[in-house]
Amino acid sequence: MIEPVHLDNFFIAFFSGAMVVMAGALYALLFAFSRVHGLPRLMIAAYGAYGLLAAAVLTLAYALNLDGLWQAVVLAMLVGYLLAPHGIWHLCEGTHEHQPDGAAPAGGATPDNVIRQPGGN
Amino acid sequence: MSTVGVINLDNLNGGQRLAVKYFTVAVVLFAAQILFGMLAGLQYLYPDLLRGVLDFNVNRMVHINAMVVWMLYGFIGAIYWLLEDESGTEVVGLRLGEIGFYILTAAVTVVVLVFLLVQWGPGTDTTLWFINEGREYIEAPRWADIGIVAVLLVFFYNVAATFMKGRFTGIGGVIVLDLVALAGLYLAGMFYTTNISLDQYWWWWVIHLWVEATWEVLVGAIMAYGLMRTLGVRRKIVTTWLYIEVALMFGAGILGLGHHYFWIGTPQYWFGIGGLFSALEPVPLVAMVVHAVYDSGVHKMKNSNHPALAWLIAHAFGNFFGAGVWGFMHTLPQINLYTHGTQWSASHGHLAFFGAYATINIAFFYFAIQKARGNVWMSGGMPGDWRWKWSLALLNIGVWGMTIAMLVAGYDQSQIERAINGSSWMGYFAAQSNVWFVQAMNWRMVFGWITAAGTVLLIWDLMALGRGETRKAPVYLDEIEPDRVSGEPAPGPA
Repeated sequence: MIEPVHLDNFFIAFFSGAMVVMAGALYALLFAFSRVHGLPRLMIAAYGAYGLLAAAVLTLAYALNLDGLWQAVVLAMLVGYLLAPHGIWHLCEGTHEHQPDGAAPAGGATPDNVIRQPGGN
Repeated sequence: MSTVGVINLDNLNGGQRLAVKYFTVAVVLFAAQILFGMLAGLQYLYPDLLRGVLDFNVNRMVHINAMVVWMLYGFIGAIYWLLEDESGTEVVGLRLGEIGFYILTAAVTVVVLVFLLVQWGPGTDTTLWFINEGREYIEAPRWADIGIVAVLLVFFYNVAATFMKGRFTGIGGVIVLDLVALAGLYLAGMFYTTNISLDQYWWWWVIHLWVEATWEVLVGAIMAYGLMRTLGVRRKIVTTWLYIEVALMFGAGILGLGHHYFWIGTPQYWFGIGGLFSALEPVPLVAMVVHAVYDSGVHKMKNSNHPALAWLIAHAFGNFFGAGVWGFMHTLPQINLYTHGTQWSASHGHLAFFGAYATINIAFFYFAIQKARGNVWMSGGMPGDWRWKWSLALLNIGVWGMTIAMLVAGYDQSQIERAINGSSWMGYFAAQSNVWFVQAMNWRMVFGWITAAGTVLLIWDLMALGRGETRKAPVYLDEIEPDRVSGEPAPGPA
């Protein structure tokens, strides 16, 4: 069912494995920043990161000789990572919808849940 | 009476006073972990060092077990720390909890002394009970195992009964359910079998499912509380994320267990199951990074406890890189065939344990210092703040440096010992004597010294930070009136 990595592909296997997670995180971050700051151009970069992710996954599949059932794993990973930030974004909107705009005051608390101590700074 | 700038345990509630005891022992064990890790590292370079006096196998065992136990002490302490705050009532059975602490600490002391002084002679059924159970990472003898379970059951009673009496928050619910799994899974490592495959099969239930499921969930809950206390993040937000992380951790972590089953004779379907769910395991880690960045950004990094927040952020990124990136690089069986049990595993282990668990425990040490000194100001303009910054930097540089050095050594082993020489003895020695391996071990030692320096500075800082400070940090209203902010149900009858 599995064919071990060929010696020549050792580095490719490790590197592409790491890039799968890194590119996945970059895609999620760029996606979030694009939505938070209303910058559609960042969304292009986000999908560029997804392209990098796809390339890393395909390279990993080649280096690890992924056949048969493993190809389903590859497909599931690619579809899942494409859709996940969309779902997470809707969740963020839902959980932050009542939060006041702007930043917290010194001390980091939101205005409605912080009080000062006498003598505090 | 509240006093600012001096350590006064009257500033703490009952659960927090008990937590401080756990934190104190955790710091001592952390120092022991570093000390014995240094000795083991030196023995890679100078194999004759302390031979027959303090052998490598003993140093390594104490290094690893001290790490496991100090993290458990840190987690237990963190939960006692937040318990009254979260539940809105006093800890139920606090006296029992204190007795449990002293029993556990006495047992740990005896076990360490036995590890150091009595590790010779044949391994028999008797030694299993009194000397060493022989299972890597959980070597404590059987009598100590039983004691650990008993103390954890007392701890579980304290936590569950307190939340039942007071307010059952989302964080509380996750902690209680997770403690059931934490105690239950430990039992899987306690029965004896002579079949090594069968033994490894159950051993992984403790090792993998503790580390990649129950511990991750526990730190998720602790992190949620930490974000509320440092950044003032609203409860609804952290609880929502917590539920998602729990679902993903348990969903991916439990079946991802299969990636440890590749090479112990289990059926082939584990290859696919383990591979698939291992691929999903980084997902919650990605969510955690986004979460930390988002929350920090929303609050423009302004917070009431700079060292604690810095360590929480170190946790989010360390968890992502150590457990996620370093783990996934060598998880799938096609490559794990070559890396399993090499320095590659050690590289992953060092960054993952430090990034995911040591960091968040250290963050809680700083919460404890702040409140024990009367909720002292621990944000911008603190006197002596160079100490925590340098200890943060040194510890992270040290562990990252060791991680990279061991990565190089692991790559050397995977290629020379496993791939080229087919896991033969000749291959083993060829890899061990290869120049890349030797240099990597030297670099590991250099970064080990840096880590040790960071640890010394951390301990100094924990004793000194906030001394003489007269300013007080802001207090979040939900520390005083939880219901007003959280919107959750009021506490039950006290």
